[in-house]
Amino acid sequence: MYYYILEPPSSRAVRQTYQRLRDLLTNLGIAGEMVAASPARTPEELSIMGLEKGYSTIVAVGGDAFVGRIAQSIIGQSVLGVIPVGEAVQISQIIGTDNMRSAAEFLKFRRLSTFNTVLTDSEATIFLDSVIEPTKLAKVNFVIDGKLRGYAYFNKLTITRNLEIKIESSHHIEAKKILGLFSVGGRVIGSESVFRGKNVRLVTEPDLPVTVSRVPITKTPIQLQLTQNSLKVITRRGSIL
Amino acid sequence: MKGAMETNGPGTIVGVNVSLSGTLKDQNDISVFGMIEGEVISEKAVIIGQSAQVKGPVKGELVTIAGVVRGSITAHEKLELLETGKVFGSISTKNLVIHSGAVLIGKSEMPAGDETEVGESIPEDQSDSTNEESPELTPDEE
Repeated sequence: MYYYILEPPSSRAVRQTYQRLRDLLTNLGIAGEMVAASPARTPEELSIMGLEKGYSTIVAVGGDAFVGRIAQSIIGQSVLGVIPVGEAVQISQIIGTDNMRSAAEFLKFRRLSTFNTVLTDSEATIFLDSVIEPTKLAKVNFVIDGKLRGYAYFNKLTITRNLEIKIESSHHIEAKKILGLFSVGGRVIGSESVFRGKNVRLVTEPDLPVTVSRVPITKTPIQLQLTQNSLKVITRRGSIL
Repeated sequence: MKGAMETNGPGTIVGVNVSLSGTLKDQNDISVFGMIEGEVISEKAVIIGQSAQVKGPVKGELVTIAGVVRGSITAHEKLELLETGKVFGSISTKNLVIHSGAVLIGKSEMPAGDETEVGESIPEDQSDSTNEESPELTPDEE
């Protein structure tokens, strides 16, 4: 039996979608307990309630940030099911569909895939790509596996569940003026770096929030640790990814 | 980036505005466009881009240099030094390509196995067949 946690509906249309989902799950024979998150009942609290009730599968119904919060709460204790609703680009790619009906059918077939996640020192878990995106070029110092130290300037830094650090930057070099008439040399320099490790420390100047779908989950400075095969998710095809 | 990690995945890329010190090790390709002080080790290809500056040894199967390397280079298969490449240190490879304009200051070494191939005599039957196919040269033509 599944325990469904619904993201608070952002519109009337979403409320209607939830009603259709109830009918769909009943028709598929996988209707379970359904609870809706609210300011009074956070998705984390509801996840813990579901675990305490003995559910072995918690199904998150909502967008990327919402699913990420539930994944963090149940990691290592329960299987995660997902029905993508709203802004759910990343999670749709992971489970193999952005369609509610298909996702519900996947739940019925219950094929499991195992994923790595990243644990932070603030006890946040990174399952979906997490982003540090300063408003202007910022500096990050990093230590990877205690063996490699470095720094970079960046506009966007992405942390994946496989503890891959992607650093992107783009900065403009001012054009030089000759005799006050001609401009030469002005250009944009783009840079992209990719590193992987098992233990990574990131320190930004200044401290910056780490977000999933623009929702903050933690902030820098941050210590990251790869946790291999730590989360089981119901997907289109079962496999270890 | 490996360090202790041994999983596969896309290679490591060190961007233009990145500066590193320590050991950069990966089972997959490594591309460097920034600055590194330390070892660069890959089980596949290492590309040192035009904007890169590396101070330390570089090891890989295929190594391509378009930037500056101050340190030894070991390429198990092939080392290519492009026209913008500058190497200050010894190199070791089986297959070496140096483009016009490149700078190499240091010793060059090829694995011992290749020396025997250079001195090998052509077997008789092969030399005969070669003679049969080749038109004979007259003293004038010579």
